[in-house]
Amino acid sequence: MSCAIRGGERRFALALFLPALLLLVITTALPLIYLVWTSFLRIDLSMPWLGGFAGLDNYQKLGNDPRFWNSLGLTLIYTGTTVVLQVVLGLSLALLVMQVKRGQAMLRIAAILPIVLAPVVAGLFWRSLVLAPDFGILDFITRWLGLGSYNWLGEPRLALASVIAIHTWQWTPFAFLVLLASLAALPPDIYEAARLDRANAWQRFWHITLPMLRPAIVIVVILRMVTALSAFAAIFAATGGGPGSATEILNLYAYRLSFTELSVGYGAAVATVLLAVTLAVAFLLFSFRRKK
Amino acid sequence: MSGKISDEVLKSRRKVLAGGVAMLGAPWVARFANAQAAVDIGPYQAAKVNWRQAEGEKLTVAVIPAGYFDALINEAPTFQALTGVEVRFEKVPPGQIRQKAILDLSSKTGTYATHAADPMYYDLYASNKWCDPIDGMLGDARLTDAAWFRNDDIIPAWRGANTVAGKPYGVPFDGETTVQIYRKDLYAAKGLKPAETLDDLVKNSAAIHDPNNRVWGGAMRGFAGAGQNMYIYPSIFRAFGGDWFKSGQLVLNSPEGVAALEWYVNLLTKYSPPAVRNWNWPDLADAFSQGTLGLYVDSNTSASVLNNPEKSKVIGKIGYARWPRGPSGKRVTSIWNWGFPVNAALSEKAKRATWLFITWATSAETQARTSFRSKGIKRLGINRLPQLRSQEFAAMVKDYGDNYLQATTESMANDADVQWRPRMPQWPAVGETMATAIQAALVGQKKPKEALDEAQGRVAQILKG
Repeated sequence: MSCAIRGGERRFALALFLPALLLLVITTALPLIYLVWTSFLRIDLSMPWLGGFAGLDNYQKLGNDPRFWNSLGLTLIYTGTTVVLQVVLGLSLALLVMQVKRGQAMLRIAAILPIVLAPVVAGLFWRSLVLAPDFGILDFITRWLGLGSYNWLGEPRLALASVIAIHTWQWTPFAFLVLLASLAALPPDIYEAARLDRANAWQRFWHITLPMLRPAIVIVVILRMVTALSAFAAIFAATGGGPGSATEILNLYAYRLSFTELSVGYGAAVATVLLAVTLAVAFLLFSFRRKK
Repeated sequence: MSGKISDEVLKSRRKVLAGGVAMLGAPWVARFANAQAAVDIGPYQAAKVNWRQAEGEKLTVAVIPAGYFDALINEAPTFQALTGVEVRFEKVPPGQIRQKAILDLSSKTGTYATHAADPMYYDLYASNKWCDPIDGMLGDARLTDAAWFRNDDIIPAWRGANTVAGKPYGVPFDGETTVQIYRKDLYAAKGLKPAETLDDLVKNSAAIHDPNNRVWGGAMRGFAGAGQNMYIYPSIFRAFGGDWFKSGQLVLNSPEGVAALEWYVNLLTKYSPPAVRNWNWPDLADAFSQGTLGLYVDSNTSASVLNNPEKSKVIGKIGYARWPRGPSGKRVTSIWNWGFPVNAALSEKAKRATWLFITWATSAETQARTSFRSKGIKRLGINRLPQLRSQEFAAMVKDYGDNYLQATTESMANDADVQWRPRMPQWPAVGETMATAIQAALVGQKKPKEALDEAQGRVAQILKG
């Protein structure tokens, strides 16, 4: 009898679950499978007579493509730097705001604002109002401080630093909010005990706060890393991948290949590599989380 | 009584409502009536074609958001009254129009009956059979009255740019040529003349360069893009004697190519504002209008921006000249037009409707109505030489600055070079690769030779069968 009920319940659960699964398969899995399939084809809209199955040609081509390696390097620098900055700044801000007794709610609301901006708006806002030479807020400040005027999006290194700053500005509040919530949930009695044992502020942070925040930090790192790897719109709006190829992360390179150079098959191969990198990073981080 | 409304009350309420609607609607009705009254289809009826042969068709036309297309859109009621064909315009920014057109053409959805096409894309359209060659329609007396349309009046270089393997694929609607644009007051103060050679141009730039007083000596497009920096560099490359093809192979890193890129990087690094590396034509025109640029080389049609009294501080101080000669002795200008092709995925009737639209838009009558005879926006990029040389056109541009008309018409007639950019179906990839290389050299990411060598390697890989 109980078995029959369980079976009925299972069918009912399956019926509830199936529509969502189907939707996910149609909107996510199938396009990804199609992407991987496309990466094995030669589709050059500018040379349609060469189209056909290409096997691993597109992947072999990657090895000799300096722009691909440049993009891969930039993707890793961009992802690593933005994630570290977000966690460090987010945690620092969260610790600071925990000390604020009044107006915490206002600070939380203010923190949400950059997150709700569309990344393309964030990119354009920084490009035209903050980083523009002569007119931007940042340039105004550096000139006022006597540091001179800089071409923030025109110099290769400054442009990379600028797009890292834009991403960090937009997404640090996410880390801040998650870590603030986790901090607020930490049990006060442990701190009381530590104080009785004369642990100083640094010792309390290092030996109590940080280990207890570890699960939250790991989840922030995973989420932020996946977002940083798939970043596109803000960079596209701010620099378009330039100057030259100074901010051309893998996503932008795949876009340029597919939609500007019309090498759809090769563009799909670059996008597949990005997919593999993202999956590998997520897998490593999740297994690291499970182990501890 | 309660809950029931008498007939009188209902009637009077209806009257009030009807009156209100009439009052609200009055301006629209009046405007529509005016528009109807203003439509004059007479001159088009002189053409011996049945303009109403595709009546009832609905077309979507993709254009870029620009004054010259706004002028056409303003005239569209005339076309609808003439043909009974409904036209909807979709404005797509220049950065995206090529991609959207390619998506439409390659998927054969027939969304855009025609679109503002980049002449460098016709090879791609032809090799994929995405667009129909238009010679058949041009020669079909049921569709084109050759004596009325006078295709040969359209600027030959523009028609040539829209031709692939001897077959035309698009009719030019609006175009431009690039010329030197300089501040004649600054030149006069230093006793300078417009540059005759590329060396002179650098010397002139050096002479008027005064960044402490916010005047930079010389600039060109620095923004990366096939239609931005790769729109200017080819003129320098050809003036240096460069050839895109050697023994049928595309060569990007020839010694002439390297010398041309070094010249460009030197000029922009020494005499342009630092932000020039992200500047496209509107930024250059704005800087020149504000008096911060003494000289630049760009489109002749920028003159309308430079002479806008609301924005420009340099009206009356502007002079124009043809491109200077390069070491090869050649002056090489750009060849640019926004043309209209015919989407091959359309039905036969829709193709006829599209062709009627194209001949209407590019006819001498519509060209005049959107330019010197317009009461609103007056286009400068008129497509016919007789009209460019007409007194009406000369009267319209007489206050645009010294030598405007002469520099423009002589450039179009003498400096257009069919080998200006490498024409091939793979142009989107080649143009993009070159644009990135040019900008990488400009910002110092790579040396000119290194940037071009890398571009060469990349293009060789792309072209490999």
